[in-house]
Amino acid sequence: MATPLLSVRDLTLHYAAGGGRVVRAVDGVSFDIPERGEALAVVGESGSGKSSLANALMRLLPKNAVALGGSVMLDGQDILALSDEQYRRQVRWRRMAMVFQGSMSVLNPVLRVGEQIVEPLLLDGTVDRRTAKKRAESLLERVGLPTALYDRYAHELSGGQKQRVVIATALVMGPDLLILDEPTSALDVSVQAQIMNLLKDLKADPGMAMIFITHDIGLASDLCDRIAVAYAGEHVELGTAEQVLLAPGHPYTQRLLRSLPRLRGGTMPEPMPGEPADLAAVPPGCRFHPRCPSCFGPCPKHHPPAFAVGTGGAATCWLLDPARAAIASDGAPSGTAHHG
Amino acid sequence: MVEPAGAHLAPTVAETLAPPLEGTPLVALDDIHVTFTTHRGLFRRGQVRALAGVTAAIGRGETLSVVGESGSGKTTLGRVSLRLADPTGGRVTFDGRDITRDPQGSLAWFRQRAQIIFQDPFSSLNPSMRVRDLIEEPLVIDGVSRGGERWDRVRGALEAVDLVPAVRFGARYPGQLSGGQRQRVGIARALVREPDYIVADEPVSMIDASSRIEILQLLRGLQAQRGVAFMSITHDLASARYFSDRIAVLYLGQVMEEGPTGAVIDRPLHPYTRALVAAVPEPDPANRFRRRAVVPAERAGSDPGTGCPFFSRCPERIPGTCDRVRPLLAGQGGGQRVACHLYPGSTPATVDAGADRASH
Repeated sequence: MATPLLSVRDLTLHYAAGGGRVVRAVDGVSFDIPERGEALAVVGESGSGKSSLANALMRLLPKNAVALGGSVMLDGQDILALSDEQYRRQVRWRRMAMVFQGSMSVLNPVLRVGEQIVEPLLLDGTVDRRTAKKRAESLLERVGLPTALYDRYAHELSGGQKQRVVIATALVMGPDLLILDEPTSALDVSVQAQIMNLLKDLKADPGMAMIFITHDIGLASDLCDRIAVAYAGEHVELGTAEQVLLAPGHPYTQRLLRSLPRLRGGTMPEPMPGEPADLAAVPPGCRFHPRCPSCFGPCPKHHPPAFAVGTGGAATCWLLDPARAAIASDGAPSGTAHHG
Repeated sequence: MVEPAGAHLAPTVAETLAPPLEGTPLVALDDIHVTFTTHRGLFRRGQVRALAGVTAAIGRGETLSVVGESGSGKTTLGRVSLRLADPTGGRVTFDGRDITRDPQGSLAWFRQRAQIIFQDPFSSLNPSMRVRDLIEEPLVIDGVSRGGERWDRVRGALEAVDLVPAVRFGARYPGQLSGGQRQRVGIARALVREPDYIVADEPVSMIDASSRIEILQLLRGLQAQRGVAFMSITHDLASARYFSDRIAVLYLGQVMEEGPTGAVIDRPLHPYTRALVAAVPEPDPANRFRRRAVVPAERAGSDPGTGCPFFSRCPERIPGTCDRVRPLLAGQGGGQRVACHLYPGSTPATVDAGADRASH
């Protein structure tokens, strides 16, 4: 089988919190993006560590980061093993770029829009100003903006236009992979629809691979081929959009889907029970067990491994243990599945 | 001919819906105009019409959702209804009393009875104040002098928003709460004065999708149990569905459509409402294989002039009419009203007659 574009194994990012506590923002996360043109959603509540996953991949780490571990293979090269300087020169923005949450305020108010787009190109020093400007103008067109916006300032643009500029900025070095952290959260629904259509276009041509981070699993279904569900620093379920949306295996995913206000359908949404886990004090066993309506024997003590769900999906829940029938009455899980 | 509000939902939802508006409304906004003067550069001044003749009424214990995009004037309408913005034309009536021109100094009674819940539960709460102090603050301002009475009311408000035990949550700081819990504090702060009317400005837009329904159900419950009337300002039709009796759709400062929630969402009449409904994403793995429906973009250089404000974006515009004549809100049965020349009654009679003459 061909080398996947991106292969993440046991990725871990911990922060130091006050009082010697450790925030386990990313805790043993694994997934692949097999090839260009594929989009993976990472869906979860605030505090599930989904934005920290993006920061870990981009190696944009706050000062209080105490542990960054695991492996991130990009086209077969372990980019976590690179020095900071190598990473900056070879990977960041060139092969992997990011559109940040709240990008609307990311744009520099005193720089012209075009100057912000070409900045990394000029810093790179390999192209002259005229070539850089041509490149910026073609990117403005690519994201559906008139080239005349090159000379405008951010405050002269609408929210949707600013978001398009930020996407153009991420594209300027020609990356293969785009990480998008809540790229439409501050936008009206009609503008959001336009931005999602732009992302669909970029996914098809030039075949951009994407990691789309969002709290809204409905929005995730608008773009993504596969969906990872994040809870308390871990991914509790991963599968195709069809698998996760139509036949979710994990009780958390099921509750997440049932909690959404929807425009159609006669079923009243049900609130998610309880409060999100504290990443500095994650519950033992399954991290979702204090909120889980299906919690039983092994859940409070033993961390579940990933069990198969449907075709190619996986979820970390003891309910899915094929050996569940053989679970001993003392609540300990049986046999080979025991990873606790 | 038109189903009652909520009939499109399961009976459990329909049961919680309030009876239709009867008698004198609690809040009546009559032909509200708001024009702002803009300053572009040193000498250039412009006029921006935020609201151009909006009429709306909210009965006791009723929720009206005002739905619109940025720039629709929805927030201005909420602020006018609270007398936090002054209309340049029209009349604001609260509980039968015209308060349009009352000086702020004489509105203390109104400030007790009308409150606001802000959009952002992260920036609207002072992070250095305990939850109980945040909720108590309005009572201190009101001069409720006995500490025991103040705490009783703070505890009652905390319990009403389900932050229990009240003693424990009251001692926390906003930073120790989740987004949903912070928004509950914002609601408790509005409730502690025991108001009759609350403007909720995008109450769930900054909260995780999975936490929205609990806030919407909480607000719905407060409306039912305490008889509080709400104006809910939102751009999200899916949220409006769970927390409103009626919906008014605003576009560039004018009401495009208004009616019972179920009718407006299930049978939208105005092309703009139809586009908004079609643009809402529902979880569906087939979504990624098709393009999202979009509200058509504004055509460059177009000026709505005297006609329909949606004219330049409307896929069904009638040239010669829609760009020249402002459509009137006209009833279409079942309490649904629409301002669109595609529907009977929207085109003023004088224009109809004129058109007839012209065609003969």
